[in-house]
Amino acid sequence: MSALLEVRDVVRSFGGVRAVDGASLDVEAASITSLIGPNGAGKSTLFNIVSGFLRAEAGTVSLEGRRIDRLPPHRIARAGLVRTFQTARALARMTVLDNVVLAAPRQPGERLVRNVVGGRATRRREQEVRVRAHELLELVRLDGHAHALAATLSGGQRKLLDFARVLMTEPRLVLLDEPMAGVNPVLRGELLEHVVSLREEHGVTVLLVEHDLEVVMGVSDRVVVMSNGAVIASGPPDGVRSDARVVDAYLGVEE
Amino acid sequence: MSVLTSGEFWAFVGVVAGIYTILTLGLQIEFGYAGLLNFGHVAFMAIGSYTMAILVVKSGWSMWLAAPAAVVASAAAGVVLGLATLRLRADYFAIVTIALSEIVRYVATNEDRLTGGSQGTINLAGAEEASDYNSQWQRFQDWFQGALHLGSKDVAMLLLVWAVALVLTALVALSIRTPWGRVLRAIREDEDAARSLGKNVFAYKLQALALGSALAGVAGLFYAWQFAFFSPADFAPLLTFFAWMILILGGVGRAWAVPVGALVFGVIFAGTRFFEFAPFTWFDSAERAYLRLMVIGLVLIGLILFRPQGLLGKREELVLE
Repeated sequence: MSALLEVRDVVRSFGGVRAVDGASLDVEAASITSLIGPNGAGKSTLFNIVSGFLRAEAGTVSLEGRRIDRLPPHRIARAGLVRTFQTARALARMTVLDNVVLAAPRQPGERLVRNVVGGRATRRREQEVRVRAHELLELVRLDGHAHALAATLSGGQRKLLDFARVLMTEPRLVLLDEPMAGVNPVLRGELLEHVVSLREEHGVTVLLVEHDLEVVMGVSDRVVVMSNGAVIASGPPDGVRSDARVVDAYLGVEE
Repeated sequence: MSVLTSGEFWAFVGVVAGIYTILTLGLQIEFGYAGLLNFGHVAFMAIGSYTMAILVVKSGWSMWLAAPAAVVASAAAGVVLGLATLRLRADYFAIVTIALSEIVRYVATNEDRLTGGSQGTINLAGAEEASDYNSQWQRFQDWFQGALHLGSKDVAMLLLVWAVALVLTALVALSIRTPWGRVLRAIREDEDAARSLGKNVFAYKLQALALGSALAGVAGLFYAWQFAFFSPADFAPLLTFFAWMILILGGVGRAWAVPVGALVFGVIFAGTRFFEFAPFTWFDSAERAYLRLMVIGLVLIGLILFRPQGLLGKREELVLE
């Protein structure tokens, strides 16, 4: 059986530097996979390629056996692969509720003409979406802020908002870009619980980028390690931790 | 000073403010809603005016057909600009739009056989025969005046412009509250976030540009009807910046701020014509014309200092990140 996401021999360079140099990895359906590696290993670049924000110079990316490496980001998102950003991208001058409602798929009213003709389908969908958005905001305990502007949220709350927003898109695979970066330990625990619940309760597959191995050890089914643009090891967390190549890669860079 | 109390004069100020309202509504969609920096907005107004006049005079179209065709032409020009340039970063896009508006003006100035050249629409049918694209509109305006028993033609025009301006303002105000408008606002806030949530950012920007340009085209129609004659010089970049002043004066992102801003701007602009008292009388009339622009600039600087969010804007939205 083929994996949900297949990345094969992806190459991308900036100037003379090969940021990603022939990286391949698989993400199995209904798994939590962590992509780790020291800073500068090429994780973020690979991540941007998979989500369509960067083009690969060579190699392929497939979702459920379908090539997605030439698709623009919005088509990839609609195909069910949805990403977050390292710093949460709250839409500041929109309400928290609108941030979530916006993410809903299949809203006919997003076509201008459908607001002139066939307004009923738009209104019906809008009602469904609002109910769902409130549920999701309750889940991340932001319901009390639903009608506040997103700009009033703290950094941690914005990460939670990101979560609710991603769930609203009804994703199959979620790519989380260092969700724990710059987050206090209490919230970190809460975020990890949400990551686990993505799979347990929402049936979503997760690919997590993180530079700190310890953060993701407990929750990952599989860990993929990158260094210098290539995948150097992959497997269950315990096996990877004791892998000599991984230890080398980390000891070289981190304290 | 007697002009200041003349109804005819204020009707004229009102008509111009109405035309500015329609023009600026286009910018409100493009910048206020979608975040597009268009500094060449006047080009689409020119395309509206010229398309209508050329179709009537040269192709013998009925004005009632030529007018919607002109609006479509403006929108199409917006799409062409968008297809060519929307992939540029915001600041580069802004530079290209300035260039575009100057290109349109220079083409209108130099392509005599199509546009009448620098002499304007009087020369549209060729040097020998004076041409007029406006007779059908004049008849309509007379009929309208008669039907409503209005005192003057200026009042008839005032009502017509503002009826259209207010209907369009209401439509623009409604559009931002639809799911479509929500996507535009999301793009203004953060394009990449909108993309990551499955929104086709390029398509929405293109639509915003098409609609904004169509509105500029409508403004161009009323401009052509009001003045019965125009030339390329009427579509100088200054007009784009007047529209920007109105937008900022009224409040970015709020449709109803546009007519308010246009009226305030119109009154300031017209009012400064009458600096016929000291210390302005120390200068001659040519010098006073420049003084007028300086006073308008100072008033605007003052407004932006003390009400940076515009007359109808919300201040807290300005400081949020």
